[in-house]
Amino acid sequence: MSARLQRFVAVVGPCLGWLMLATPLLAAAPSIRPVEGLREHTPQIHALINARVVVAPGKVLDKAAVVIRDGSIVSVGEGPIPPEARVSDLAGKTIYAGLIDAFTEVEVDTAAARGGAAHWNHEVTPQLDVTSSRLAETALNKKLRSQGIAARLVAPSGRILKGFSAVVLTDDSQPERVVVKDKTAAHLRLTVSPRRERDDYPSSPMGAVALARQTFYDADWYGRAWRAYEADTSLPQPERNDALAALGAHVAAQGLFICDASNELFVLRADRFAREFSLNLLIRGSGHEYKRLDAIRDTGRAVIVPVDFPKPPNVATAEAALAVDLSELMHWELAPENPARLAAAGVRMALTTHGLEDPAGFLKGVRQAVTRGLPADAALAAVTTTPASLLGVDAELGSVEPSKHANLVVTDGDLFDAKTKVLETWVRGVRFEVEPEPQLDLRGEWSLTLLDRKEPSPALLLSLKGKPLALTGAMKIGAAAKESDDGEATEPPSAKLDRVGIRGGQFSCTFSGEGLLGDGVVRLTAVAMPLDDDGHCLEGTLTLANGERIVFLGNRLAGEMGAADEVATAEEHAAPEGSAEDEAEDVAATATATTHEAVFPLGSVGRSASPEQPVAVLFRNATVWTLGERGVLEHASVLVEQGRIVAVGRDLEGPSGTVVVDLKGKHVTPGIIDCHSHMATDGGVNEGTQAITAEVRIGDFIDSDDITIYRQLAGGVTSANVLHGSANPIGGQNQVIKLRWGGLPEEMKFAGAPQGIKFALGENVKQANWGDEHTTRYPQTRMGVEQLMRDALNAAREYREAWQRWEQTGRGLPPRRDLELDALAEIVAGERWIHCHSYRQDEILALLRTLDEFGITIGSFQHILEGYKVADAMAEHGAMGSAFSDWWAYKFEVFDAIPYAGALMHNAGVVVSFNSDDRELGRHLNQEAAKAVKYGGVAPEEALKFVTLNPAKQLRIDHQVGSVEVGKDADLVVWSGEPLAITSRVEQTWIDGRCYFDIDEDREMRLRDARVRNALVQKILDSGESMASDDEKRKDESELWPREDIFCHGHDHGHTHVAK
Amino acid sequence: MVCSVVQRWSVAVMVAISLQGSAARGNPEIPGDAPQRPVAIVGATVHTVADGVHENATLIMRNGKVAAIGPNLKVPKKAVRIDAAGKHVYPGLFAAHSDIGLVEINAVRATLDFRETGSINPNVKSWVSVNPDSEMIPVARSNGVLLALTAPNGGLVAGQSAVMQLDGWTYEDLTLAPAVAMHLAWPAMAPVIDWDTEASAKDQLAARDRALENLREAFEDARAYAKARAADPATPKDARWEAMQPLLTGEMPLVIDADDLQQIQAAVAFAVEQKVSAIIHGGYDAPLCADLLKKHHIPVIVSEVYRLPLRRWEPYDTAYTLPARLHEAGVTFCISGGGRFGASMLRNLPYHAAMAVAFGLPADVALRSITLAPAEILGVANRVGSLEKGKDATLLITDGDPLETATQVEAAFVQGRPVDLNDRHKRLWKKYEEKYRRLEVQRSAKE
Repeated sequence: MSARLQRFVAVVGPCLGWLMLATPLLAAAPSIRPVEGLREHTPQIHALINARVVVAPGKVLDKAAVVIRDGSIVSVGEGPIPPEARVSDLAGKTIYAGLIDAFTEVEVDTAAARGGAAHWNHEVTPQLDVTSSRLAETALNKKLRSQGIAARLVAPSGRILKGFSAVVLTDDSQPERVVVKDKTAAHLRLTVSPRRERDDYPSSPMGAVALARQTFYDADWYGRAWRAYEADTSLPQPERNDALAALGAHVAAQGLFICDASNELFVLRADRFAREFSLNLLIRGSGHEYKRLDAIRDTGRAVIVPVDFPKPPNVATAEAALAVDLSELMHWELAPENPARLAAAGVRMALTTHGLEDPAGFLKGVRQAVTRGLPADAALAAVTTTPASLLGVDAELGSVEPSKHANLVVTDGDLFDAKTKVLETWVRGVRFEVEPEPQLDLRGEWSLTLLDRKEPSPALLLSLKGKPLALTGAMKIGAAAKESDDGEATEPPSAKLDRVGIRGGQFSCTFSGEGLLGDGVVRLTAVAMPLDDDGHCLEGTLTLANGERIVFLGNRLAGEMGAADEVATAEEHAAPEGSAEDEAEDVAATATATTHEAVFPLGSVGRSASPEQPVAVLFRNATVWTLGERGVLEHASVLVEQGRIVAVGRDLEGPSGTVVVDLKGKHVTPGIIDCHSHMATDGGVNEGTQAITAEVRIGDFIDSDDITIYRQLAGGVTSANVLHGSANPIGGQNQVIKLRWGGLPEEMKFAGAPQGIKFALGENVKQANWGDEHTTRYPQTRMGVEQLMRDALNAAREYREAWQRWEQTGRGLPPRRDLELDALAEIVAGERWIHCHSYRQDEILALLRTLDEFGITIGSFQHILEGYKVADAMAEHGAMGSAFSDWWAYKFEVFDAIPYAGALMHNAGVVVSFNSDDRELGRHLNQEAAKAVKYGGVAPEEALKFVTLNPAKQLRIDHQVGSVEVGKDADLVVWSGEPLAITSRVEQTWIDGRCYFDIDEDREMRLRDARVRNALVQKILDSGESMASDDEKRKDESELWPREDIFCHGHDHGHTHVAK
Repeated sequence: MVCSVVQRWSVAVMVAISLQGSAARGNPEIPGDAPQRPVAIVGATVHTVADGVHENATLIMRNGKVAAIGPNLKVPKKAVRIDAAGKHVYPGLFAAHSDIGLVEINAVRATLDFRETGSINPNVKSWVSVNPDSEMIPVARSNGVLLALTAPNGGLVAGQSAVMQLDGWTYEDLTLAPAVAMHLAWPAMAPVIDWDTEASAKDQLAARDRALENLREAFEDARAYAKARAADPATPKDARWEAMQPLLTGEMPLVIDADDLQQIQAAVAFAVEQKVSAIIHGGYDAPLCADLLKKHHIPVIVSEVYRLPLRRWEPYDTAYTLPARLHEAGVTFCISGGGRFGASMLRNLPYHAAMAVAFGLPADVALRSITLAPAEILGVANRVGSLEKGKDATLLITDGDPLETATQVEAAFVQGRPVDLNDRHKRLWKKYEEKYRRLEVQRSAKE
């Protein structure tokens, strides 16, 4: 049933929270349900008059009436009030459109997806529909209404392709009534949760993207295959698949997709993904968007953002503060400005309760955002018109206009003012009082007159205070109480009230009769009877200890509401329903300017902008290790123009405006290239589940914020080959990057670097060190590895042939695009280079023989620990080797690894590089190169090539980088001394003629960061806000993925003494 | 190669050396034989560490000890003379913390002997499990590392360590000083949230508190045991509490693994309260509480210099400058280099010191931090650590500064015994050099 139809479906039954008005709804639209008992025809016509009406952001009527009929708004303004309407005078109150929570989640039973023609992977359930789940969550709805929220998007939670969401109302009526729009959006996320099982594909974020990407291709292919079959039923009938059918239809209809983006980089990833498939995409953000504001604005996507601003991190002691990153401190300060900054940048934005521990803190968050610069109209739009429009329900929701649902919020002031209370939330014409005015307030002083009592009795005085529904008080002798205020003189007999009860109009309590009405406990029961003047009297009985019953009449003493009571009342109102406490103070405390400028990435050594690229730079008076034909030049210069080396030699002059760097005899070398790195990726490094995961791409998860980038710049590294791990024989696709610190992920990518892929051999891929439960995945031996490689390459060949056949003939079902085979086919076609993790000589030789058979030249052998034993075969094949300088003995297969390997292979004519595979080692690859001199006597210049020109050759980027020669990129390192000496330090690192690391600038940034840090710590201490405690510590999901090849890190000793 | 500097050895010694040389072609290295006569190293630059640098000097070894050092020393007639002009003599490098001999291949469980089960193991002794034929040992000494503390680790109280000299037939030959220290891994004080920590922050804090309680109980139980044994010698023996007595009497120091400031502070407070003499190992944050460490005379073994900053916000060179900062603050320290990679990488010890020099540590202090400083901190400076008359003749002859990579160790002596500087790596190197030599011969023959 479509959402639009549903709107006309009948309404049945009263709702919770409606007690005070006690008026059931009128069934206005026809229902197919049989009537049980009598028909109900309570009129549902309301006129809310004399209110200030905010029709839509920026459109205000100062004194207007809103007329509601059967759940819809029929008029807004000064028009006539229908005589049949119930009139509520809302003078002094403000009416807004009911707020929309743009994102909530519910767990959906996946049984429906498992039945039928399910997708093979349980992470793929796009066919699931949230409307099949129970959507009326009474407790949650009550909280949402307390925040003025009358409608919300409900999305299915979990999985990669999750299913469809719906916009639903926040009343508690039956399922057929609450849905405003079903199939609002298809939901996805481009990641999986950390700490999954090692064999549950996908086990990594990059695997998740690969699966999502394949599924979108499959959905498209599915449609084409079925169309082809329907046109010619002699073709084989394609398999049915519910997931692909649902997804394909939604894409084809340009349906809305909502993708989770758990940090700012995920927004860019989601955008990039959506572009590949021309999706109509809306982002569900994280609150971190301000960190990459311009880039996110440039995507043109709208974003749903949370208002779950963080507690301050624990800086209560200097020791605890050590563990707090500068970026956490900055985020604490800036997070409340995220909505304001997005708005200022012109990003369309909707707000959500998502992320809040308690949705009742929503308005507090929104108000904080307003205090921190979000214009009130923008805030209002972000909770009304924008989400209505983004979610395609603007005909029904979002403003106070005729024909829309009567979703309204009534407040006693400006919605974004901290002191304003939400009084009522109307959900499709049903009024829910958020803070009901107490119907009966007995607080005050009552004089009790005892009737028909024989003995003379004292005048009793009943004093009631506290909350209207939680009264306390005392019974006293009337006269005495009158005489002495606060009982200063003689203490009149008095008894505290116990067991005070109030329900409906009935009041009861007990008190000790001593000195008042005989001994023992007296029980009092009374009914509050309304009087003409709106007041009440109490008519009741006292039951004495001896069983005597005395009838009494109680009258309120005028003007007796004590000052203390009023204070108590004010406090009650300050704490709204739910949890949000002392909000006024909190908002005020953080409403100050920020302490620092924007830096990229946020946190330590972030840059406010990319380093400048001067028109020309002249490095003068240096010892230049060209690593080209000209060797090492003393007292030489290097001239750089527009990021390229244009001259190397003596006595060079630059054009006017040249930036001159006088090096006073220091050394200049090409930038260091790390041929094996796992830095700058938060995709998990290994998709180690299946034996072949060629479809996985490191390039989907470049983490431009990884501090390792900066640390390695400080070690002279300018480019790196970021590789998939070694968990499987054929792993994912690599990504060559330049270390452009501060840039965006896409800006890190080395333009022009040919594509590659990780292969691996030996212990890791046969799961030798994975533990006893991993003994069944094929292969478990080196024999099996050899067979698997051969089989995969055969499959790739056949795949290519199948496509070629179809492209030539067009006959048969269209072939399915298989991203795994695509990558393998590129290898066979010579368009993708293999970088193979390798240890033992037998496996090295076996792979070479297999590749020879297929006519494939290997890109490089990685680690290649026993390459020195078969260097002749490597040289013959044209295989290059990228090795560790001196690692050994961490696994059995590296017991024969020797530091002389580099020299032996080099001497046999193999192009050798030394790599790091390690965040620390990568910081001093020059020193590793020096080990080639020590172990085996390689000449210093040749040794330096092991970490510059040779890795460039192995990555096929040596035409661009790797030496200081004319025409190459100006990727240069300035060293304080001889580059192979440990005691030399990197002083500058240049990429593309831009200085990305400078030892003096580094000192300045340290001082800057220390200042900001101190200022923020002080700000937190001054704020008085409660800090996050140690046991509340958690991290962004993206930080919970390994940043190394965990299957390779036997060399990381495993029993380090270092306390984390 | 080994004897390129050895020029005037007696025939007997020359034979011994050449035998070892032939071992390069297949046999494992054979422990050095004690020379019957004094040995004089003549004409070298002698870096005594304790007493400056003597250029063109002579060093005489007798009965395994340094007998004399100085310029123009008279070489005894019967002495074996080693002409070392242009060469340098250094005390054997000393790795102040390692697991050498206890680990062969990290990924092969059967070869691991550094961690006993349970958390309170004061009675286990590392040296009885040191494999003298470990391939790690010749590799380490090839680059000048002749002394190492071999320590157990893991759990809470991991056991006792010994100073080993890296040449000999048995673990007893190797053990220079047994029972040098007790080892304690201080629990992490703050929770760790990362990809390989499964426990929640809350559970980690609870585990920390339990560990600290266990530790305190162990010390209390050990004291109660001493009291009971004193009062009644028939009290049955308890190996654990027995082993802890030297700790409680202050005879044996407690090496405490601690990096984080809160760990170090807590560890110091514990040591002071328990009246034990403590040494901090790791020591990443030690400069932040330098005064505390100095006040209580607690030295620091820097576990490694090649190390990432522990925290994202810290300067990139935080670990590189650690030794320099400790030096400036006046904290007693040494550098072990045995941290992250353990035994297989012990040969890179001098480079840890060299990296500290690049980042501000004076070169002489750096050399001291891997020779005499560890000997002092571990209480064996009366025997090793510097070249002084009466100390062990455990030393090396190099062609340059051992802190520079290209420098080669050309000869080494452990207590005066010449060390075979061959190792597994050189054997394999020579083996495959031979392969390519033969291929070249065949190729030439074809042409």
